[in-house]
Amino acid sequence: MTTTAVPRPDGRPRLLRAELLKVASTRMWVGLLIGAVLYVALQVVSLYFATLTANTGGGPTVPTLRTAEGVRNLFAGAGGAYLFALVVGILGMTQEFRFQTITGAFLAVPRRGRIVAAKMGAYALVGAAYALVGLVVGYLLAVILLAFTDHAPIGLATLGQIAGGAVLGAALYAVLGVAVGTLVRNQIAALLGALVWVLLVEALLVAFLPAVGRWLPGGALSAVLQSTGLGNATYLPVWGGALLLLGYALVLAGAAAATTLRRDVS
Amino acid sequence: MTQGLPLAVDGLTKQFGPVRAVDDLSFTVAPGKVTGFLGPNGAGKTTTLRCLLGLVAPTAGTTRIGDRDYRDLPRPLHTVGAALEATGFHPGRSAREHLRVLALSGGIALERVDQVLAQVGLSQAAERRTGGFSLGMRQRLQLAAAMLGDPGVLLLDEPANGLDPEGIAWLRGFLRHLAGQGRTVLVSSHVLAEVEQTVQDVVIIAGGRLVRACPLAELRGSAGGVVVRTPDPEALRAALPPESVRAQDDGTLLVSGLEPHAVGHAAFVAGVELHELRAATTELEDVFLELTRAPATGAVA
Repeated sequence: MTTTAVPRPDGRPRLLRAELLKVASTRMWVGLLIGAVLYVALQVVSLYFATLTANTGGGPTVPTLRTAEGVRNLFAGAGGAYLFALVVGILGMTQEFRFQTITGAFLAVPRRGRIVAAKMGAYALVGAAYALVGLVVGYLLAVILLAFTDHAPIGLATLGQIAGGAVLGAALYAVLGVAVGTLVRNQIAALLGALVWVLLVEALLVAFLPAVGRWLPGGALSAVLQSTGLGNATYLPVWGGALLLLGYALVLAGAAAATTLRRDVS
Repeated sequence: MTQGLPLAVDGLTKQFGPVRAVDDLSFTVAPGKVTGFLGPNGAGKTTTLRCLLGLVAPTAGTTRIGDRDYRDLPRPLHTVGAALEATGFHPGRSAREHLRVLALSGGIALERVDQVLAQVGLSQAAERRTGGFSLGMRQRLQLAAAMLGDPGVLLLDEPANGLDPEGIAWLRGFLRHLAGQGRTVLVSSHVLAEVEQTVQDVVIIAGGRLVRACPLAELRGSAGGVVVRTPDPEALRAALPPESVRAQDDGTLLVSGLEPHAVGHAAFVAGVELHELRAATTELEDVFLELTRAPATGAVA
């Protein structure tokens, strides 16, 4: 197809608004938000009890809540919404193919890459919103639990740092999800592939080959979240992790633009 | 409304793996008329429409909306409205939200949404999720989506599918009205009878190739004529222009080139007794079937 430099009266905010309306006008985001909140709550509660029991048994040495690190880990559990951000990004893109609404989208905007870019922007906001809600719930829960426990103090600066990482990480994971969904248009395949990768393949690589793991999306996310985890893996700096995640999203989207995005829509 | 633009398909070929869905197809569509895009199922109609809309990349050839490729239209939804069969709705999204998404995407004022919903008679169902829509309601919503940008060109793929007789009658009036405003209206169908009362021109394809592109009247001319039954065929032949009368298997005569009243008059003047006199318009469908059944050798009109 030939291209001409026709000035367009439309701006990107218009497409961003369209993508946000797509999100808001169905119920998918509600279900996944509930999932994210429950997951965060579960994570904070289980982290709390892990520190209580860690001192009695012979399990792994988990920093107790009497240490600053232990308390930090508890609050970091509130930043666990990223997985749901990834899923919402994948579903947001793949459902366009599943319900064939992509036809209408491409008719309105024949430059297909613009749709993907707008969707990435919209889901970055959705992912960030998930993280914020998760943080509010998780922090509240942690504060309540700590009220019954002898614990080390935690500074506002640390809480802010965790929150910033969680919001940035979830936003970038949602963008990554959109990229995955563009490349793998089948909803089930994209979702299963991403979850198996994140929960199994990558988790093992990060744990057993940290030198490789730090360069994977999961390692980059850990850098953004600044989680210490159980091992003592050295992650990239926050900005390095963020750039690496963005890079992964752009590489996947670029691969999609060269392959699946060009395919016939029928 | 943007002005109606001519459509041009030129040497279009589309290969899907081993299947050649469209094979060196060329035709044009004029504004201000309803053009029927006809052919049996699998003839390549939908693929051709999708090529025109930039959704499917041609293997060879070009398609033009006015003088541009669809993908180069500065404001596509303001120029072309399309209702395609496999265009989907998110089942959990209401009709109004579906249209609002499209309006935002296409840079169309949101006020248009309720206008087009009213235009297709879906105002009452605006808040309902499309998952519960009947096929006929989906067709109307497709049509509403096509009308959003008040486009000068409308490409409608089997729009009568799923409509009840009342809906079909409404659709006929609607399409004629749109063409009357100077818009280009291309309507695909696999049943000629469905569009026979609506279209002025026809483009007939079969096996991905052009069979016939002409005014409907011309097709009717080759189909039509007058069927006459008389106990005295020789006297009637003598009363009518030579070469215009042909005997048929069922004992009737087929008179071509004349209207029924002219044949009746000639018989009356010659004193020939008639037992039957009718226009042979019902045979238009037969002509269509004949054309599309025959090996498509590209007999361009």
